[in-house]
Amino acid sequence: MLKLLFSVLFLFSIYSNSFAAVGCSLDDPDRDVKRLFPESSGYLTKFLTLKEIGGQPLLNSIEKKLGDKFDVVYEDLDVPYAYYTILKGKDPIGYIHGVNQKGKFGVLQIVLATDLKQNIISFYYQRISSPESGKFRSNEFTAQFKGLTLADFYRYNILDNKFSDGPVAKIVDYSTNSPEDFRATLRGIKKDLILLDYFLHGQVK
Amino acid sequence: MFKKCNIFLSSLFILAILKAPLLANESLFYKEANLIGGYSNRDHWVGKSNDLTNAVGFEDYRKFSNDYGDYLTTDLQVRLAYDSMQNSHNAWGIQVHNAWLLYKMNYAAKLRVGHFDPAFGLEPQLDTHGTILQTLMMKNIGFKKDWGVGLEGSFSKFDYKTALQLGSGMGIRRRDDSFLLTSRVGTPASQNFQYGLSFLYGRVLETEDMKTIPQDKLLSDQAILKKRVGLDSQYLFGPYLFKGEVAYGENDSKKVLGYLGEIDYTIPKYQNWELELQFQSWINKLGENSSADSTLTLGTTYKLNQKTTLRAAFSHDFNNMNQKEESKVLLQFYYFGV
Repeated sequence: MLKLLFSVLFLFSIYSNSFAAVGCSLDDPDRDVKRLFPESSGYLTKFLTLKEIGGQPLLNSIEKKLGDKFDVVYEDLDVPYAYYTILKGKDPIGYIHGVNQKGKFGVLQIVLATDLKQNIISFYYQRISSPESGKFRSNEFTAQFKGLTLADFYRYNILDNKFSDGPVAKIVDYSTNSPEDFRATLRGIKKDLILLDYFLHGQVK
Repeated sequence: MFKKCNIFLSSLFILAILKAPLLANESLFYKEANLIGGYSNRDHWVGKSNDLTNAVGFEDYRKFSNDYGDYLTTDLQVRLAYDSMQNSHNAWGIQVHNAWLLYKMNYAAKLRVGHFDPAFGLEPQLDTHGTILQTLMMKNIGFKKDWGVGLEGSFSKFDYKTALQLGSGMGIRRRDDSFLLTSRVGTPASQNFQYGLSFLYGRVLETEDMKTIPQDKLLSDQAILKKRVGLDSQYLFGPYLFKGEVAYGENDSKKVLGYLGEIDYTIPKYQNWELELQFQSWINKLGENSSADSTLTLGTTYKLNQKTTLRAAFSHDFNNMNQKEESKVLLQFYYFGV
């Protein structure tokens, strides 16, 4: 019986619809979705790569909006992204999207939860290698990002690390020896919001 | 018990099919190639490590959903492998690694059916599918995946996994009332400091190699009664990732003990480059001389890009269960991408 069961499983895997993608995904979406959206009843996962949806011209366009070049290891065309549409019944109530970002000592996995207008509801690190990870993960630090939008992050120039006023300029770095990870966090969130915007609306604003 | 279990699993599978059209809403398809070889002072030129052979394969990962969200995940990971240490008749084989479906019952409980990790120690927390450095799992249980059913889920402060499997590893078979019951409770994987407590009880079959088709040969028709308790931990601090696990218990009436410690160091300036140092030891009969199999490995990993990784490792086996000591150098080319 077991052999039959797994033969059927194998066959339906082969004959169902396939498109090539891979996930930069949540370790445990069930826990994260319930924590970030307690009223939710489910979620839908979507996988994307820039190679599939726009290729090099799209990557160039996103780099221009970001104001920085993409990293070969963490951000090339084949890097997979997953975003989650959060549901209450059948109705969407928000999104969760995560990105990999090069940090001082290794990758930062930055995850944003937004409402349907892409205002940040919550932000957290799924992975952060900083020795000061406790300060970066603290509610005091992450709460500063609540309510911010992509428009706010467009006022942040990554290469110069300068702000043209606005709420992002007021965000306080609580770390003592990790300004690189603070800057990486701002870059990662900006990239996350640009990509989510594109994934949802099919254009770079 | 297993007949009832089979009926239950089949019913679940049919229910999952009826719940929505038989199409994956989202899917991922990886291609994989593993080239590995090196030199050992005992075996001379070798074309494999203890757990890896030259192979090509794929992984097919799917999410199924309906109007109310995702409800089913499937994964099929298969390799066509060539074992250079076997004669030409036995060298080729198909290895089915992952072949599972995960049915979401609610936010706190999911049912897993198929071929997947036993819920014990570091192994279910790590992806060692393509790495030279491995956990204690092979020495502890004798395989890294087994066929069966599992229940798992997460709460805010901890995760749990439990599995009831055939105790046979790659092959789908039962002999001598074999089974494997494992359970692990641990902290969430997103924390910098993670730890878990595991238990194992089962009658486990020992196999000669690692093939699903043709089915790997049994070393004996007699299952070994295994009992274990285990602790595992990981700690990410700056460029360092520390890993450790210990397992203690019995094989039939013999006391056994295994432990592993590993430090991984990511070079901050070149984050695609990592250095690894691991020591692991497995003692098959506590208190008896030359029953320990201990290995020290120094390795390095260099990611050329998202898909391609180069690895090199030097390992020294201190005793190797009564055989002479062995030093080995391995080089690996590993491709895994869409």
